[in-house]
Amino acid sequence: MASGESVAARWVSRQMVLLLVVLATLPLWIESIGLYPYLGVEIAIWMIYGLGFNLLLGYSGLPSFGHGAFFGIGAYAFGLFQLRVFESLFLGIACAVTAAFVAGAIVACFLSHRRGIYFALMTIAFGQVFWFISIKWHTLTGGEDGLLNIPRPAFELGVASAGLGSNTALFYFVLVVLAVVLVALWRLVHSPFGKVLQAIRQNEVRARFVGYNVWLFKWTVFAISAAIAGLAGSLFSMAQQSAYPDVMSLHASGIIVMMTLIGGGFVSFWGPVIGVAVYFLARDVLGAVTETWLLWFGLIFVLAVLFKPEGIAGAWQQHVGSGDRRSLARRAVAGFLSAGRK
Amino acid sequence: MPRKTLTRRSMLKKVGLVSAGAAATVMGPWRHNRVYAAASDKPIMIGLTSDASGQYANSGASDRRGMMMAISEFNERGGVLGRKVETIHIDTETTPATGSRVAERLITRHECAFLIGAVSSGVANAISQVAQKYGTVYLNTNSSSPTESGKNCRRVKFVWDGNGTNFAQAAVRNAISAYGTKWMLMTNDYVWGHNTSAATRKLVDQFGGEIVDEILVPQGTRDFSAMLLKVQQAAPQVVAAAVGGDDQKAMRQQVSQLGLGESMAWINNQQDWPDVYGLPLDNLFGVFGTTWYWKLDLPGVAEFVERYQEAYPDTKMRVPGNVFYNGYMATRELLSAVERAGSTNNRKVIQELESLKVSASDRMQHHDAYMNPATHQMQQTIYLATANQGTQNPDDMFRVLSQSAPEEIRDADADAACMMESLDDTPTYEM
Amino acid sequence: MSHVLPHLLNGLSLGLLFALIALGFMLIVGVMELINLAHGSLFALGAYFAMVIISPDLAWLGAAGEAWAVLPLPVRYGLAVFLAPVLVAIVGMGLELCMRRTYGKKAEYGLLLTFGAALVIEETIRLVWGPSEQYLQVPQAISGAFLFAGLIYSKYKLYAALFAVGAIAAVWLFLERTPYGAIIKAGAHDSEMVRALGINLTRLRLLVFGLGAGLAGFAGIVMTPIWGLRPHVGIDAVIPAFLIIVLGGVGSFWGAVIGGILVGLAVGFTGAYASELSLLSMYLLLIAVVTFRARGLLGRKSGLEA
Repeated sequence: MASGESVAARWVSRQMVLLLVVLATLPLWIESIGLYPYLGVEIAIWMIYGLGFNLLLGYSGLPSFGHGAFFGIGAYAFGLFQLRVFESLFLGIACAVTAAFVAGAIVACFLSHRRGIYFALMTIAFGQVFWFISIKWHTLTGGEDGLLNIPRPAFELGVASAGLGSNTALFYFVLVVLAVVLVALWRLVHSPFGKVLQAIRQNEVRARFVGYNVWLFKWTVFAISAAIAGLAGSLFSMAQQSAYPDVMSLHASGIIVMMTLIGGGFVSFWGPVIGVAVYFLARDVLGAVTETWLLWFGLIFVLAVLFKPEGIAGAWQQHVGSGDRRSLARRAVAGFLSAGRK
Repeated sequence: MPRKTLTRRSMLKKVGLVSAGAAATVMGPWRHNRVYAAASDKPIMIGLTSDASGQYANSGASDRRGMMMAISEFNERGGVLGRKVETIHIDTETTPATGSRVAERLITRHECAFLIGAVSSGVANAISQVAQKYGTVYLNTNSSSPTESGKNCRRVKFVWDGNGTNFAQAAVRNAISAYGTKWMLMTNDYVWGHNTSAATRKLVDQFGGEIVDEILVPQGTRDFSAMLLKVQQAAPQVVAAAVGGDDQKAMRQQVSQLGLGESMAWINNQQDWPDVYGLPLDNLFGVFGTTWYWKLDLPGVAEFVERYQEAYPDTKMRVPGNVFYNGYMATRELLSAVERAGSTNNRKVIQELESLKVSASDRMQHHDAYMNPATHQMQQTIYLATANQGTQNPDDMFRVLSQSAPEEIRDADADAACMMESLDDTPTYEM
Repeated sequence: MSHVLPHLLNGLSLGLLFALIALGFMLIVGVMELINLAHGSLFALGAYFAMVIISPDLAWLGAAGEAWAVLPLPVRYGLAVFLAPVLVAIVGMGLELCMRRTYGKKAEYGLLLTFGAALVIEETIRLVWGPSEQYLQVPQAISGAFLFAGLIYSKYKLYAALFAVGAIAAVWLFLERTPYGAIIKAGAHDSEMVRALGINLTRLRLLVFGLGAGLAGFAGIVMTPIWGLRPHVGIDAVIPAFLIIVLGGVGSFWGAVIGGILVGLAVGFTGAYASELSLLSMYLLLIAVVTFRARGLLGRKSGLEA
């Protein structure tokens, strides 16, 4: 197993290949474990969302409780572009990313000189403002009925072209986007920029004294994270072929925080990926068995925080680190999970 | 119609493999016309999409009991087309995005022939969009937004509740002559509220009333004191409220505390039974609409209530209400339509439902009901009711004031607003 | 002017209620630097407990239940107002015992734990009492309406505001007149300082969490006759509480009271003159204040900023 540092220096890590291979074969086996292809689409989209979110929460230590706003802005921007301008996959996505980036950049102007609890609550407040606008401006957004009939434009690249009408086709498109986001974020967190973010997380005051323009770093990372949320939102509006205000609600914003943390976003690059997979599978499996699935999920969540607060990724790292009998497989998994951090 | 032995799942898998193998293949819009083997011993699977958590959890539970009672009645008689009817329920969480995912799951994984259930119009839209994509017939049992059978109508969707416009039609003319012409509107600031208030406004103008002010109530409002002071300052003769969900519950409580229900006339668009059952009678103020009441003096009603009590002996709600009734009626009519069509073929079932006529006695209402083929909304009797003050029976909360025939309370704008997909554009299936 | 005055009074009474909702949250965040996301669920739990205590239908208690049922409503209500918060305080203390595992770790873990607890409490409420709307009986003497200057006001609202004033005064006395209060004001999160003063930190935390939870439950009882009661009512309380604390400044008692009153005035006045903005107004107020004042109105330095 390569050491963390040299893995970090690569463009593509073993973990990425493993994840993408598992996901790429998903349409072949997902039905045999009793699930359905559409679920794979949502999982892959939320992984993108979670990875971008963890750039803020895990790497920079900035708790955003209103991130659903940017996800929603991406979804609406994509939908409105398709319905009001013209049908185009890449321009629609570009429009969504830009809209979320701009919104994130504006909000970040208010946030970047705030820390901790004040930062957190300002994100809630802005999240509520955007949610309110999405309900209130119903001539544009369709209000609580949602923006409906959003087409899935065909994928066109030079001579090649493919429809994304089926969920499987869309899934592979989302997977390609996920791969690009994975590589880009991996490079980002291991770049000098990423190191500064982690320094800010550990001690903002010290980072400032060392001479970094902390405000600018926080502003940039917030806007980037918002843009990635917008990207995920645009894919989500394609998956659902509609956009609803609920994804911007406080509840939805809280869920991405929970997923990221339960997976172990604080200790691993892969935290949000694991968290998203676990949450979606738990919801689908438990949700079909019992109507009180949230109670069980809440109990598991509480126990996890009490006994394994570093999340699933952290638990694995500990588990492997403590034992003498280190099997190759276990070491591999631990290396997988710790690769994001020193 | 050619019959290939293809299950939906293997079909989907095939589509998946094709697109996986050749990304350059052009995949047009989703418009495959699929036919599945309908082995006569295979149960008919119905997906129940009612909310079990969130704002409408309570109504969702009532809705579902209605569907289940209808289904078990068919199963006791030997099923539908000789096949047993089975159900699967997944919580839609009163959240549209969840509604989409649940619909995808029910259709593609559980191979449901039909989907039933909704209270929130957002959730109903999410489900009906997915259902339309696959051609799956979907019954919107309890969402009363006028957009459901107007702007957002669908070929596969059938709407079984009266809508905001129907209730306004039933109430406005009477209220103007009974209480006066000076009106004020309290409107939930979202699509359902605005549509309902627009319908009321139009009727008030038409019958010579005057609207002095409109107070917009944001969704999530818990304290109405400032707004109620403003209402008092304006001193209208009638307040027409289109406030729904939890907001309505909070408002009701505060209006009754002030005794404002007596000092001016209140028109509440619709009052869902599960929202008020078990609360003090004071909380019911003014006049409100409903599609059915358990003490209607009509043949069959008492037996229906008895069947309910036998089927659900442990339920806190001792008598069925409008939400249960709508869920029951929708499901019963769907299964009867399948029997008449002699097949689960969706196009045949849609055509059966589009020409549906149900006699007043079968509906346990005062007038015959029929499906409007242009909007897919059930045209039915609408009742106005008020609190049954002085009753000794805690379950007998409503006093029915009047009933209106479907023609009198028709939502005339819906026909123009509804642009439905054609039947040919709707994928076909047979499960 | 005659039109404005009622709205001013209404906004003030609303503000006192908002301050009441934030009190328990303020205590826990001020002393323990812990954001208690279970505040809303404890708020709901208080109301449900009170509902059960007030209910004359306690047949499952046998003879004791029958004796209880014949007590007049004001007596039952008065006892519920005392007992239910105590029960919620006990639940809160149980939660604090769990919290201990997270002390000394990242602040986020405490936040996560209370979030999980909120889920569990709310779902348990749904399981026990069902999803439907419930109500809390209120004695005749404090319900109904009264006429003042030609307008009808809710009598209960007036009493609720008085309850709020009482709770605010009690917390103030606790902070100003007890040794615990002195410690809290000295900055109780600094455990070495506390130990130097000879105070048992473990007990202090247990007490403060219990008190904070009890106050949340009390606020729930007071607010239920106005808001109504359903399992997810907690979300309507925890968000304003959180917002008011940040607006007023973490660690400041008067900051929370003033923050609550400002929110009340904002909601009251927008409710009257721009009602569609009445819910948004508190968020806009927060953005306006925190944009210019890094620690809210009266906040002091706190570990929650890191």
